Amino acid sequence: MTLSRTLTHKLLDAAATGETVAGSAWREIHPDLVLGHDATIALIVDRIARAGGRIAEPERLFLVADHFAPPSTVDRANILRRFLDFVEQSGIVEAGGRLEMMQGICHQVLVESPRCRPGSVIVGADSHTTMAGAVGAFATGMGSTDILAVLRTGRTWLSVPDSIRVDIAGDMPAWLRGKDVALHLLGRMGEAGARGAALELSGAGVPMDGRLTLCNMAVELGAKNGVWVSDAVTRDWCRARGEGGWPDDVALEDLQPDAGAAYVATERVDLSTLAPQVAAPWSPANVHDITAVAGERVHQVFIGSCAGGRLEELGDAAGLLRGRRIPPLMKLVVTPSSTAVYKEALRRGWIEDLIDAGAVVTNASCGACGGIDKGLVAAGEVCLSTSNRNFRGRMGDPDARVFLGSGLVAAATALTGRLTDPREVL
Amino acid sequence: MSRLLPGPRTEPLAAVDGAAMVFGDDVNTDLLHPSYFFSLDADTVRQGFLGQVAGKATDGTRSRVLLAGDNFGCGSSRETTMQSLRLAGVQALVATSFGRIFFRNALCLGLPAFSCPDAATLAEEGQPVRVDPLAGTATNLATGRTVALTPLDPFWRQVLEAGGMMPWLEQRGSLT
Ligand code: SF4
Repeated sequence: MTLSRTLTHKLLDAAATGETVAGSAWREIHPDLVLGHDATIALIVDRIARAGGRIAEPERLFLVADHFAPPSTVDRANILRRFLDFVEQSGIVEAGGRLEMMQGICHQVLVESPRCRPGSVIVGADSHTTMAGAVGAFATGMGSTDILAVLRTGRTWLSVPDSIRVDIAGDMPAWLRGKDVALHLLGRMGEAGARGAALELSGAGVPMDGRLTLCNMAVELGAKNGVWVSDAVTRDWCRARGEGGWPDDVALEDLQPDAGAAYVATERVDLSTLAPQVAAPWSPANVHDITAVAGERVHQVFIGSCAGGRLEELGDAAGLLRGRRIPPLMKLVVTPSSTAVYKEALRRGWIEDLIDAGAVVTNASCGACGGIDKGLVAAGEVCLSTSNRNFRGRMGDPDARVFLGSGLVAAATALTGRLTDPREVL
Repeated sequence: MSRLLPGPRTEPLAAVDGAAMVFGDDVNTDLLHPSYFFSLDADTVRQGFLGQVAGKATDGTRSRVLLAGDNFGCGSSRETTMQSLRLAGVQALVATSFGRIFFRNALCLGLPAFSCPDAATLAEEGQPVRVDPLAGTATNLATGRTVALTPLDPFWRQVLEAGGMMPWLEQRGSLT
């Protein structure tokens, strides 16, 4: 009898070295790729030196300067310098590793690269590393010491999590996006709803940008990883990344769970029944239909982050705001997720549409999302953000209130100055 | 001159006593340590601890045991959050459950972190608590009530006993 395995189980088995500890569910895993950024890698630079300095497999590193990019304080300039000196002195680029200098948010820049392989195992020094699961990879976030261990040994230790299926049925209505589905699941399951588990998502009706948002926000449910069960949409999108975007030796059939695999739960979502969703302060799981909160005055709209600054959001906002003006007192801050997204939006004329409507467009980076850079909010202000977390104080003053929503909700809200159902302005 | 952030635990694993700091459910890392205190300087990191939780200020001179409800430390992977707890005098963490990255961060730095169904009700704020990772118990020293900690998986038990992930790898001879 052969064991029926979930997709997550299969992906982890393929990277297991066979090393274990007696009686433990944790196994040594050889990750295919290691993601790191300026902030979390800088934290361990002196400890890498103290631990002997050698980087086990520099060719597997994908490092991105994105948080303090460019830096806005002296302290952050020094942190970025520490990171860049480490990259230079350890010869990572010469050895075949990647450094992306201020080209966008690490998670977005990673998935745009063919190095982010379907079927691979990816660990990253950032919680939203889960996003890479949208290409059919096992991808999970870790803290800096865990990543220090990977840098020094090329190995990490993981257990096979329980898996939760998320079956998304139907076609996406014009006013709905992957973000609405992510928020709906958060409202239904709560911030601990998938704690330590794998989410295995499927549904042909969700376009790739929405899948990236869903896998990104798997961690808001507490999940270890979120993996999209690959289909033709995944394969076509990966192929469009260029040579090797969908590796020749990977077949779609290999990236499916086994028939009869055991799931601890199954969540079903019918796209035709969902209204646009928003998360109210101060939890991404404090979710309501937009109709329940519509009308509240909003001072700022932020379109950006690894969860919500892709072509989908930029195109939705440009489409809705083209030829219109936002109110004079509205601050609309747009931060594309990557330079590639930025350039494509420029080419399509969307950036000009947004600027003409009254938006300010910043360089691709984390920006206001983590409370890092341009676009922080003040005490008493209300912000609608397309990012993934509205924890108290994350985006600025602890007495600012942040709502989360899709790019369509963001654009409709920017247009009226109040939380607005996009169905009213589309 | 800036002060370096602490590395892994260097003392042998032993029972620790501390004043209880009690938290509820879903307390996230942005609340425990806002990102604008992210720094490589230990003094800046220490100042950020509990920046927004009234009445929990600490100068780091008093030993603490942190007790919490469900999903403690959910959110960001920033290890500065765990460092800020250590700089604030926290010697051990006991929660109904933890956010998974946060849990790994604690054990990777050699800080005892145990789940326990009774974590949130064991003590009132400020009561003295003993956590004994070797015996697998937590005791409210004011009331005498002792509860059992959920045993760690054998892998994590080894990591904790070694003082953290890097000392454990060193012991195994993995750091060539
Ligand atoms: S955009 Fe926000 S959530 Fe994403 S990596 Fe940057 S700070 Fe983190």
